[in-house]
Amino acid sequence: MSQGSLGTVALGLYLALLVGVALVARRARRDLSPADHFLAARHLGVFVLFLTLYATAYSGNSLLGYPGEAYRRGFSWIMATGFMMSIVVVFHMLIPRLRPIATRHRFVTPGDWIRHRFGEGRSAVQLRVVVGVLMAVALGNFLLAQLIAMGLVAAEFTGGLLPYWAGVLGLAALILFYETLGGLRAVAWTDAAQGILMLVGLAALLAWLLGEVGGLDAVTRQVAAARPEAVAVPDAREKLNWASSIVLMGLASVVYPQAIQRVFAARDGAALKRSMALMTFMPLATTLVVTLIGIAAIPRLEHLGLLEADRVMPRLLTEWAAAGPAAAGLATLVFLGALAAIMSTADSVLLSLGAVMALDVFGRSSEEADTTRFGKRMAALGMLVAVAVALAPELRGTLWGLIELKMELLIQCVPAFLLALHWGRLRARPVLWGVLVGTLVAVALRLSGHTRIEGVHVGVLGLALNMLVAVTWTLRHDRESGAGRPA
Amino acid sequence: MQGRVATGVRRGLLVAVGVLYVISVPWYRRGGAEPDVWLGMPDWVAVAVVCYAAIAVLNSLAWLLSDVSDAPPDDGS
Repeated sequence: MSQGSLGTVALGLYLALLVGVALVARRARRDLSPADHFLAARHLGVFVLFLTLYATAYSGNSLLGYPGEAYRRGFSWIMATGFMMSIVVVFHMLIPRLRPIATRHRFVTPGDWIRHRFGEGRSAVQLRVVVGVLMAVALGNFLLAQLIAMGLVAAEFTGGLLPYWAGVLGLAALILFYETLGGLRAVAWTDAAQGILMLVGLAALLAWLLGEVGGLDAVTRQVAAARPEAVAVPDAREKLNWASSIVLMGLASVVYPQAIQRVFAARDGAALKRSMALMTFMPLATTLVVTLIGIAAIPRLEHLGLLEADRVMPRLLTEWAAAGPAAAGLATLVFLGALAAIMSTADSVLLSLGAVMALDVFGRSSEEADTTRFGKRMAALGMLVAVAVALAPELRGTLWGLIELKMELLIQCVPAFLLALHWGRLRARPVLWGVLVGTLVAVALRLSGHTRIEGVHVGVLGLALNMLVAVTWTLRHDRESGAGRPA
Repeated sequence: MQGRVATGVRRGLLVAVGVLYVISVPWYRRGGAEPDVWLGMPDWVAVAVVCYAAIAVLNSLAWLLSDVSDAPPDDGS
């Protein structure tokens, strides 16, 4: 059987499994409420919660993009292990404070926190809508990136039997099907299966690569001989970029709507903290592994010139598959793991997109069944737009600058959550203007071609201004109104 | 009393995590310098990996010590 045929059969079996899971999830539905659809009736236990957090956090970019980055940048990409771990560290600032409030007031979306914290005044409503729009734009661009990756991986995986456009359309339709049918229950259960697939596939690939070369020590010496700059100590700008990436990823990722919704969906606080205790090890099991895979590829692929980052992993897998039937089977497993990673991120993003649009942007009630239907329609609309863009290369080219903005946008929402949770005097209007100023600065710098200034991400610079506006304005207001003074 | 001790230990663990993050970036080495091999990796990479492994353990302990409580739902009744 050819690699393409093997891939097509494996893909068919995997997709059939997803449909089966969706049908079971549909049967487990309790009612038509938004809490049941978007939060699985707040009943996720440790095992499923941990795996859905894992599969959602590690996207196609983690499995396909990161090995490519490690191949291009060398050992300095070890920073990715640090910045992925910083997400679980920064969650300490969010979860212990937000969770009790969320359970008391039955939050469904991030906007429910803003509604609770800042009330229903004009500035508070504007803040909720602005944060909702920023989150929706970030989610939309996550979704688009996953759709494009899905089409590329499916075509590679089936040896071209399934062309790019059919991969995008078919897999997008499947995700929409199981998400609409089973909501977060279907998404979380399929995420659990997808998370296990990812781990098994990566472990097998690393074992093969290190076994081929003769261990990590041999890899390092071969890399040093093939490309000495890949092992050299990074320069000052790269070190600043390393630190800035830890800040950017740590802060921006804790305000992922899909992550916040999982905080609301946990069965109880104990399940949540145990899941987090496990999640903190996953960068070592995943990001470090893909980084080593990319580095081990340097001496193997150096003769091909500096490959595009997203071509490294498929190239390695093609080489591996040619080594024999057992290797072909394992390479298929890795491809399936990569596809699983992409689909698990796409489904979570789509579910959150529907919820954020319905409840936060359009202000629908979280108590009514009609809101669930409206959220599903919003998700379907989002998917339709993303598919259209994914299938139109000229649109993709035009939008690319905006697509790459997701973390820079998300990080501007941080004061409305982290600062507002820890500082009771913070007011809605200063936060609103801070978010607007930070976003404007980050977008303007990004669109003028600056991704970083002296190694520091423009999103981090925007956040610094954002916080400055929020804090100084609040303090000034307190001083003028006499609030905050001791009696 | 036990809760206060756990909170103190958790704070200490998180401070240690912060310090390890600072050490993980090779500020202590000149850019472009050729490294020695340690644990099969360039020495500055091995330091970062050891820091991240230690952060994982300390952060995991900090999560297990954290108080993530559930308030009963407010039904308005």
